[in-house]
Amino acid sequence: MNDASARRLPESAPGRVYVWELPVRVTHWAIFLSVVVLCVTGTYIGRPFSAGGATTDRFVMGIMKVVHFYAAIVFDVALAARIGWMFFGNRYACWDQFIPLTRERWRGFVKTTKFYCFLRHSFPETIGLNPMLGLLFVGIFALELLMAATGFALYSVLAPIGSPMRVFRFLVPILGGLQDARWTHHVGMWLLITLVLAHIIAVVVISVAQRSDMIGSIFSGYKLIVDRQDGERDNG
Amino acid sequence: MTEQGWLERELKAHGVSRREFVKFCATMAAILALPQTVAENLAEAIEKADKPTLIWLEFQDCAGNTESFLRASRPTVAEIILEKVSLDYHETVMAAAGHQAEAALSKTVKDYAGKYIAMVEGSIPTGADGAYCTIGGKSALQIAREVCGAAAATVAVGTCAAFGGIPAARPNPTGAVAVGDAVPGIKNLINLSACPANAENITALLVYYLTMKQWPPLDQYRRPLFAYGKLIHDNCERRAYFDAGQYVEAWGDEAHRHGRCLYKLGCKGPVTFQNCPVIQWNQGTNWPIGCGHPCLGCAEPNFWDRMTPFYRHLEGVPGFGLGSNVDRVGIGLAAGVAGAFAIHGVARVVSARRAARADGEKPEGESQ
Repeated sequence: MNDASARRLPESAPGRVYVWELPVRVTHWAIFLSVVVLCVTGTYIGRPFSAGGATTDRFVMGIMKVVHFYAAIVFDVALAARIGWMFFGNRYACWDQFIPLTRERWRGFVKTTKFYCFLRHSFPETIGLNPMLGLLFVGIFALELLMAATGFALYSVLAPIGSPMRVFRFLVPILGGLQDARWTHHVGMWLLITLVLAHIIAVVVISVAQRSDMIGSIFSGYKLIVDRQDGERDNG
Repeated sequence: MTEQGWLERELKAHGVSRREFVKFCATMAAILALPQTVAENLAEAIEKADKPTLIWLEFQDCAGNTESFLRASRPTVAEIILEKVSLDYHETVMAAAGHQAEAALSKTVKDYAGKYIAMVEGSIPTGADGAYCTIGGKSALQIAREVCGAAAATVAVGTCAAFGGIPAARPNPTGAVAVGDAVPGIKNLINLSACPANAENITALLVYYLTMKQWPPLDQYRRPLFAYGKLIHDNCERRAYFDAGQYVEAWGDEAHRHGRCLYKLGCKGPVTFQNCPVIQWNQGTNWPIGCGHPCLGCAEPNFWDRMTPFYRHLEGVPGFGLGSNVDRVGIGLAAGVAGAFAIHGVARVVSARRAARADGEKPEGESQ
């Protein structure tokens, strides 16, 4: 709280709270953009269309794979950085924002559930992630780690001799063999797309319901926290 | 056991010329990824090597691995090494039968304890106390533990012996397991998977052992790296079509007739380790992908469960039918969840606004 309140703008800009630090925003968009590229190229790799023309003039799958691998590097680095930032960033980036462990977070979780179940009309005030959205992010991070693990396993057998990526061959039997890793990687993409869509819609709904400029906050870092009667109590 | 010159005698007796023998050694050098110049040294080393004692056991199998190397069109050096010279016990090819055969087996196990090589073909059923496969009144499990337990090394020939194979596929009614899983404390286990194991690889493994006096480096599934070190995909003659993005879409279409990539027909070459593209089958005649059929992935663990459906890229989604389209299910899921979230979200916001208005322009009013 102290960290955030220290950054609070003067009274002239009421309610503007610095929530998402630069590393959070950068990794957020790096992960988003790389996932978009990974989904497009990955869908081609799993279900390619045939290219016409002379074989010597074509390198469609080759290019798709290279773009996929470079996007995967961006994705993996951004994911690792974001997970690392959970332990070094401000309280809104902290790992405990994702799982309702404290009683306050748990109370917030119940309130949010009530809101979603039409049992309460105002959206409970939270500065960072609301506890329910946090739980959605547990799913998103879990799927992203699964995609990274299956991706590393699948890449480990393509990596040339001498590449450090070959050590990830140990993941292959754990994931049930390469063909199962392929299947998991493919199904994981659809689950991730599903949760990302859920996340986008949830954020739009919160942004409208809470009037907190939540959508703008992931670009600017600032959220609009209007002092409300029950605001501070719900802040957690 | 030591019997100098055994090979020379046998080669002469079978009418195999010295030239043919050196050619064989050159092939073995190639399989083992040694330079061609060592062929002469290899020949010399094989000639000087002790005659190995082999016991070939067959359990829950189709004898396909035995067939694979018996089908050689002429008595090759490989055949001599594998069956003519050194096999003390092999159910399919031995002359002895009944109690005589079993007596020969137990004699070899006793006399050469810790020295012989056990080659096992077929999986080992553990269900019903091993009653699904018995030989001479003993269960396969008992025999495997007795024979492999006292062997210097055990070579699991074929996918059934190496990984359980087809008998161990779902629902595995006989409780079949791989040799490595059936014999606790097994020493020097080497898995030569594939359905059947390539005779050239069996021979190369024995040549390696005869000449180097040790077993080759293995991968994480205990398969020799010389044969299972690279993906089929990476040595495939159709690889250029894969990278170009030119695929066979249906059996017999123009791309199929042009020999293009079989990826979309469910080829498992990209997830299968074997040296098929290099050494091929039936003495270098051809191999599955070479004659237009996608790889089934027979050398990988549990291929019958994992690599099916053979002619599709991926297995379907459980509950949506065999070979159901993963992408269609995925799109349905994503659209369904997004739709539900959107409808719920709109309803939620509208209802909150309406409640707020009813509360007299107090947007923060609570109803609880």
